[in-house]
Amino acid sequence: MTKTIVVTSGKGGVGKTTTSASIATGLARRGYKTVVIDFDVGLRNLDLIMGCERRVVYDLVNLVNQEASLHQTLIKDKRVENLYILPASQTRDKDALTIEGIARVMHKLRKSEFDYIICDSPAGIERGAKMALYFADEAIVTTNPEVSSVRDSDRILGILQSESKRSKMNEDPVREHLLITRYNPSRVKEGQMLSVDDIVDLLAIPLLGIIPESPSVLESSNAGKPVILDEESLAGQAYADAIDRLLGESKPHRFMEAEKKGFLKRLFG
Amino acid sequence: MSSNNAVELKGGMYTFMSLRLRSGDLDAIDAALADKVHQAPAFFKDTPVVVDLTDLEWLEGERPGGDDDRDAVGADETNRSDASADSCTLLDAGALLACIRRHKLQPVVASSSNKSSRLARSIALPLIEVDMRRRKRRAQAQAEVASVSNEVPGGETADSGKRIESPSGSGSGIGRPDTAPTVRSPAESQTGGPHLDADANMQSVDVPALPGEIEYVIKSPTLVNRPVRSGQQIYARDTDLIIMGQVGPGAEVIADNNIHVYGPLRGRALCGVSGNTRTRIFCQSLEAELVSVAGTYRMLETIPEELRGRPAQIWLDKDRLNIEPL
Repeated sequence: MTKTIVVTSGKGGVGKTTTSASIATGLARRGYKTVVIDFDVGLRNLDLIMGCERRVVYDLVNLVNQEASLHQTLIKDKRVENLYILPASQTRDKDALTIEGIARVMHKLRKSEFDYIICDSPAGIERGAKMALYFADEAIVTTNPEVSSVRDSDRILGILQSESKRSKMNEDPVREHLLITRYNPSRVKEGQMLSVDDIVDLLAIPLLGIIPESPSVLESSNAGKPVILDEESLAGQAYADAIDRLLGESKPHRFMEAEKKGFLKRLFG
Repeated sequence: MSSNNAVELKGGMYTFMSLRLRSGDLDAIDAALADKVHQAPAFFKDTPVVVDLTDLEWLEGERPGGDDDRDAVGADETNRSDASADSCTLLDAGALLACIRRHKLQPVVASSSNKSSRLARSIALPLIEVDMRRRKRRAQAQAEVASVSNEVPGGETADSGKRIESPSGSGSGIGRPDTAPTVRSPAESQTGGPHLDADANMQSVDVPALPGEIEYVIKSPTLVNRPVRSGQQIYARDTDLIIMGQVGPGAEVIADNNIHVYGPLRGRALCGVSGNTRTRIFCQSLEAELVSVAGTYRMLETIPEELRGRPAQIWLDKDRLNIEPL
């Protein structure tokens, strides 16, 4: 049974694309046939994060308009088996997408026996974001530990409840997961950032994971490599934990406490 | 100045006196109006009124549901049809308006239970459609409240010239042939001064029922079993609203009756939006952006610190919003 997971947030720049890339990679590494779709038509960057920007021939809009076949449009990842990328168009905009067109794409993907379809949503609550979440079975709501991101996440949760296909067809509701990204425990301690408990209390959805603020995220994106593949990186490890939890295993949450710096580290930074 | 600033179109709720017509006999209406207005001519002069056609529509058999209702009805209806047969000519809408205006009342709008009835189509006034079940529920609810409470409702008199709130169905005094005489309020019978029968209707428990009218049903509260998210708006019409969860910032919960939030209230809560000042808001943690009871509102800034973040109830006391910890 194909599962469709949307990675959304409302707020821009909180880590949706980073998360989509790592979640898709993580699932594929576990043996699941996975495709990650960039729904940010006109402002594509999933292909950059995945490191396949030089291999984009056809994109989602071509596929929706039936100008290319699924086989021609999907890009097979070079590093990880079972992983495919469906890039967005850079020249067109969101009006090129229609629900019927996306439905046909989803149907084709299901027929190709994909286990997971990860939809990387654009920011906002308008057409693009609604298209991305429409077919979702589950949602990963990416939130930064600050007030405007939490407010926007609350908003997008409301929209998920009313604009998804599941809600419109009166099926079981979309399963919601909270992913806190760019978490900085020392700033939380100083009272500048919201704590995990604050965010969970405000949003009232189950916590999937906490991804700590980490320079490795930028390094990975520059290298075109999803951060989960960097096993030294704390962010990468946190994504790996999140995959476990997504697949139903329970794992205690790490990276909530500020790292206790040893004497030498404090001396030399 | 741009042309957009010259006008503003907004929704508003206003209170009007309603003139409920219970007979189709123009002479009887004329006489009854003369009698009524004579009691307080200065008060009634130029008062805008809602011309309530619903009883006449019933008499003429033109009400929602149509002729099917007639079969289900008993003796009362027989009397009524005799009564309508007595007013052998159907009431002329134009003559009616002229009569009302002669008594210095200003008909501004007509209320009807059926906008395709003869009267609704022929009267030269804008129309409001009335939900008959709702009116009966309201009247019964008000009567119950009046009989339970100690205060005398509608204390304002004609002299004070203050706003009088009258439920639809008041201010008539025109008796139907088979109904009991209008109950006069104690104040009126004692002082003999000019008092509106509006008070009388509120005090009396016997609201004459129109035959075949749908029985009063208690409407169950609207129950929301999940958090209300930012940007969502929930409106519970004619009943209570119960939220089993939090109300997020930027969300709006609105009800004609009470609001109960079993969680933190962080958005806006507006109760009694149709005018019921006896409604309340209850929440487990008051963090609301705005609270309002029947139009009187308070923003978070003006709620004292010690009340915030704790269980609270909000209600209206005379015209002041009261907030108290639970």
